[in-house]
Amino acid sequence: MTQTQDAFLVSLGTALPGDPVDNAQLAKALGVSEEWIEVFIGTKTRYFARDFATGEVRWSLADLAASAGQRALDAAGYGPAQIDFVVMGTATPDTLMPATVNHVADQLGLDQVPTYQLQSGCAGAVQALDLARTLVAQTGGTGLVLGGDVCSKHLELREDLGEAAPSELVNYVLFGDGAGAAVLGPEPVGEAVAVRRVLNRLTGLGRKPGQVIEWFGVADRHSDKQAVHEDYKAIEEGVPVMAAEILWELLGELGWEVNELDYLLPPQLSGVMTSRIVAELDVPGATEISCVADTGNNGNALPFLQTEKLLRQMTSGQRALAVAVESSKWIKAGFALEKL
Amino acid sequence: MREIAIVGLDCRFPGAADARAYWELLMRSGDAVGRVPADRWDGAEFSAPEGGDGRANTDRGGFIDDPDVFDNEFFTISPREAAAMDPQQRLLLQCSWRALEDAGIAPASLAGSDTGVFVGIMGNEWAHRHLTDYDKITAQVGSGNGYCMTANRISYHLDLKGPSLAVDTACSSSLVAVHLAGNALLSGECDTAIAAGVNVTVSPALNIFYTQAGLSAPDGRCKPFSAQADGIGRGEGVGVVVLRRLEDALADGQQVYAVIRATAVNQDGRSNGLTAPNRWAQQAVLEAAYRRAGVEPAEVVFTEGHGTGTELGDMIETKALGALHATRADKPMALGSVKGNLGHTEGAAGVAGLIKVALSLHNRVVPASRFAVRENPKLNLAAKGIKLIKAPLRLAAGTSVAGLSSFGMGGTNAHAVLASAPPQAVRPATVEAPGTAGGVFTLSATTPEALRRNLLAQAEELDKRRVPLGRLCWTSNRVKTGHRIRFALPAEDISALSAALRAAAEDDDLLTRHANRPTGRPKAAFLFAGQGVQSPGMTMRLYRESAVYRRHLDAADAALRPHLGWSVVELLTAEDQKVHRTGSAQPALFAVGYALARTMEEFGVEPALLLGHSVGEYAAAVVADALTLDEAARLIAARGRLMEALPDGGGMLSVFAPEAEILPLIHDEPLIGVAAVNGPRQTVLSGDLEVLDRVALELGEADLDMRRLTVSHAFHSPLMQPMLAEFAEVARGIAGVPRLPFYSTVRGRLLRPGEPLDADYWTEHVSAAVRFADAAEALLAAGPTHVVEIGPQPVLGGLVRRLRPPAGLRTLHPLPTRESGRPDLGALLAQLYQDGLDPHWDALYGEEQRTLTRLAPYAFSDAHRFWVKPPTRNGRSGLTVTTAEAADGSGGQVDDDHVVRLAPAGRAAFRGRVAEKVAAAVAAVGGYSLDELSLRSRLYEDLGFDSVTLMELKKDLEKALPETGEVSVPELIPVLGSLGELIAFYEARSDVAADAASLA
Repeated sequence: MTQTQDAFLVSLGTALPGDPVDNAQLAKALGVSEEWIEVFIGTKTRYFARDFATGEVRWSLADLAASAGQRALDAAGYGPAQIDFVVMGTATPDTLMPATVNHVADQLGLDQVPTYQLQSGCAGAVQALDLARTLVAQTGGTGLVLGGDVCSKHLELREDLGEAAPSELVNYVLFGDGAGAAVLGPEPVGEAVAVRRVLNRLTGLGRKPGQVIEWFGVADRHSDKQAVHEDYKAIEEGVPVMAAEILWELLGELGWEVNELDYLLPPQLSGVMTSRIVAELDVPGATEISCVADTGNNGNALPFLQTEKLLRQMTSGQRALAVAVESSKWIKAGFALEKL
Repeated sequence: MREIAIVGLDCRFPGAADARAYWELLMRSGDAVGRVPADRWDGAEFSAPEGGDGRANTDRGGFIDDPDVFDNEFFTISPREAAAMDPQQRLLLQCSWRALEDAGIAPASLAGSDTGVFVGIMGNEWAHRHLTDYDKITAQVGSGNGYCMTANRISYHLDLKGPSLAVDTACSSSLVAVHLAGNALLSGECDTAIAAGVNVTVSPALNIFYTQAGLSAPDGRCKPFSAQADGIGRGEGVGVVVLRRLEDALADGQQVYAVIRATAVNQDGRSNGLTAPNRWAQQAVLEAAYRRAGVEPAEVVFTEGHGTGTELGDMIETKALGALHATRADKPMALGSVKGNLGHTEGAAGVAGLIKVALSLHNRVVPASRFAVRENPKLNLAAKGIKLIKAPLRLAAGTSVAGLSSFGMGGTNAHAVLASAPPQAVRPATVEAPGTAGGVFTLSATTPEALRRNLLAQAEELDKRRVPLGRLCWTSNRVKTGHRIRFALPAEDISALSAALRAAAEDDDLLTRHANRPTGRPKAAFLFAGQGVQSPGMTMRLYRESAVYRRHLDAADAALRPHLGWSVVELLTAEDQKVHRTGSAQPALFAVGYALARTMEEFGVEPALLLGHSVGEYAAAVVADALTLDEAARLIAARGRLMEALPDGGGMLSVFAPEAEILPLIHDEPLIGVAAVNGPRQTVLSGDLEVLDRVALELGEADLDMRRLTVSHAFHSPLMQPMLAEFAEVARGIAGVPRLPFYSTVRGRLLRPGEPLDADYWTEHVSAAVRFADAAEALLAAGPTHVVEIGPQPVLGGLVRRLRPPAGLRTLHPLPTRESGRPDLGALLAQLYQDGLDPHWDALYGEEQRTLTRLAPYAFSDAHRFWVKPPTRNGRSGLTVTTAEAADGSGGQVDDDHVVRLAPAGRAAFRGRVAEKVAAAVAAVGGYSLDELSLRSRLYEDLGFDSVTLMELKKDLEKALPETGEVSVPELIPVLGSLGELIAFYEARSDVAADAASLA
């Protein structure tokens, strides 16, 4: 597929729920060791849509995404009428129906426009960007791209997790909640950052999923299946390799030399994993833009949080490349940005 | 070409209580036609399917809900007058108010302006009913009727002094009114214009006429351009738009729904019959409007047609359009008409179409036209370059051009060309720092009940749709002001705000905390704290979050730096413990005090009285213009440096006893002295440590409580002596006089006029006792309403409270805790706003937040209904007033002592024969029930009395209280402030008469 016409990032907004939860709070609530979290996960704080003290769910994914979306619209100075389509990527929709994207649209006053929701893990935001970029290029319209995840459903605050299976335990200390949004349009206005390329490729033929999130209905709600499962060994092994391939594939397609790269937005698995991947990618000339140590792994919000950090420092003519890996069914994802 | 911007609107149409509901009705292709409500006329009596004499062929039409509801109290119109008013006047009043708010204008702020009012109206049915009931014509019935009064009422109640007129060109009236409003704006006759249309049907006369003329649809529905079209159905409605010249609207930051590029009006002249439409005249008016707008017909994307759904009307209208659009057959113009939803709203038809077009351009989608699916083949629309809007039409990004037609029976045609609002310039995103997103949400209302209702209305709106919090708050500060009861709530999160608004509406205690009815403006005293309140990193959160504070602290830092050789801001940013050393503490506290006071002033909080505790006097003196910033910086830097250089060995002792009890014990101790008198039982000693130890023992023996203060030196003591000469040298030449009342803690009193804060004063200040208690008591005696403490954390407020200040005095602090920042500053402003201050809100917000956003408009009370018995053949009218019982059966009351609370009013308030008679007369003349009156009811402002009703009242009272004799108008005028005053006057009069009688 050839990508000829650019789409431009006009503005961006993010939303993190409540106050940050630090490792001491998390360790206490889950009955695990604070040191273990620090050493093996390397994440310092995260945010939860469920109130950590009371257990009450304070925000839905739609609330967070709408909040991010509103910030993005406001930053662009756009009203709802300026938006021609909405694309959202998430692994954790509030309900299977209606799609969360439509609740977000409702909160933002959007109507009479196409909406899309892509069911995906960490690559969902990139997939949404890919679809949005295609729509901008083909229709000349302006779109709102959304991504976010919440783990309220799985954040069971019980103090006996010390005995949980490692494949389950890891999820509690890894994840957080959040959402992001970007306005993508055909003209270089606002932030005026060109989306030069987007990569989205399934590479999981015959490969066992690295991560599984089940969903339950009336008939199987009491099944003893583990709701969230992570093959962290496979992930530790697979993701760094895939990340390097994504980086070099994008650079090659763009015709960019590695020393022309000003910023690198690496996969945000956890503080520890991200540092390891960055070391292996070995692009010392590019400034690393990461957020996972402060935000936790909040899935499809991550690329927006990273890009928000990027936009604060990116100057005219600078280039950035983002790499994301979805380890469920092994999806390669990434995108390239250049500020005009 | 100059364009007119539609900046605000409000409406009520059948099936739609407001503009949002109107748009929802259109987008779902809703049908708002129903049976004639019983309160209009008896459908059965006046209709028959076959028509016939005195009958319509339908008992259906588009009727608005609750045309009888009117918030007369809001507009201070007495129930009796309200009952006599044409409901069209009442609806226009409420709608105009809401449309102005929608435009981001506080309606009261237009008072005295040249704002114009242009009302299109063709139905005078209320007048036909009332002005023929000759026995019942009163003064109120006179002013309650007539076209002119629809516009004049708006001008009167909002105090608008621009052109004010009503237009009747039959069904084109309201678009012609818009045309006149636009011309008045373009010619500079007014800077803001209210253009409106209204139609309330209280008589079947026109239905009968349409039937007799063969124009009435049997099902009461217009079916524009449809094969099903079979005539007109009548509809009601009221719509108001607020118009500005586009350049003015943009300059004032108003949001624009759409622009009117041009309008044109013409006449059929002597055409094919007086009432028949004329194709050539219609074509000419279209051409004229296109020409003036500078558009080619092919640029017009869609047209809101007149579209009455009569065979001849639709034919002629499409022929006229076709003559101009036929050549664009490959890209036909889209055509529809709102009459398919509402019926023909006659005088309001033009504005119904205008609001539909404006919202379509704003929302970038044109609603489907009802009945368009079965297009009338006889119209041959394809050949005319026209397609009907059979499904919602999404408009392309960028500018779309639209047309709007309105034609009047009798031949006056109008057409308008509209276009999308110009795009806002896209600013690069600014990432808001934490703590800078929110603001203070304000609301004002005339009664506690109205406040509650509007709090809920705002909360509901917030739950429906997200708006940026800062913009929301800033807009509320601009628009929602002007009423007696002021509500203010600091807000940092939108969902928390919505919950808090609901909570305040439902909880009287909360409401009392956040709302107040001020009786005047606050008189604020600024009290500057002295040494001891400093802490590492003090005020740095505010420094990060408030650009205003940052600017002023930077200015103080710049002034101090040459004298210090180091930066106060850097010291504080580094959270350096050195701030506790007196050489650092004094300049740092001065900088913080100066910057906080200047920040307060920039927010509109001006001190009326000043007091500084010890070194606090330096910043106070700068605010009083007795020292320049540079002079103060030089003095305080030297003061701190010289004191720090003094040898150690001094200390301070706080003793919880009156100064008089302690003085005898230290009488013979030259090395210590009284450093401060902070309260009647709070005295601080200062001086040589050894002597202090000895004195402490004696004090202990006398059973006095005391506390040793952690200080580096014995401030305000004889031990300061060695630095005085050098300090006096530094201070030489200083001779300023405060321009504000300055309560000196050196003198323990208010400085006399002309008494300077000169070099001698500041030198004496170094070792003199701080006579805080005396100075503060003198200050309290001057009657401040608020004491605002200026310093990094509260301390003086507590001392003031121990002086037993008068009840009602509020002590405030901009930074009540060490973690305080911009939100606490907001809370302080919120309190002062409630208490009557009008802060300079702009200073609280970043530039990108100072942008208007649309808030829910004022929610009027539906407690009162005014209507008339429906007509019968040869029947007579009868005005009725009904008051829906309030849920709690009580009226809202506001008492005088700063507290909003509900107390049932009532007849119990009027004790004694005279009071009862006066209250009864006021109730009768105004049409109030006694429960609605209180001694505090103001005759003009609350009860809507005027010269006419006053004469009536005077006559009634002469009858009811014959002993008072004839009271002259000049006697009466001074006692009309409140009902209580009026009663007192008549009671006195009555007593005099009784005395005279007993003497006789």
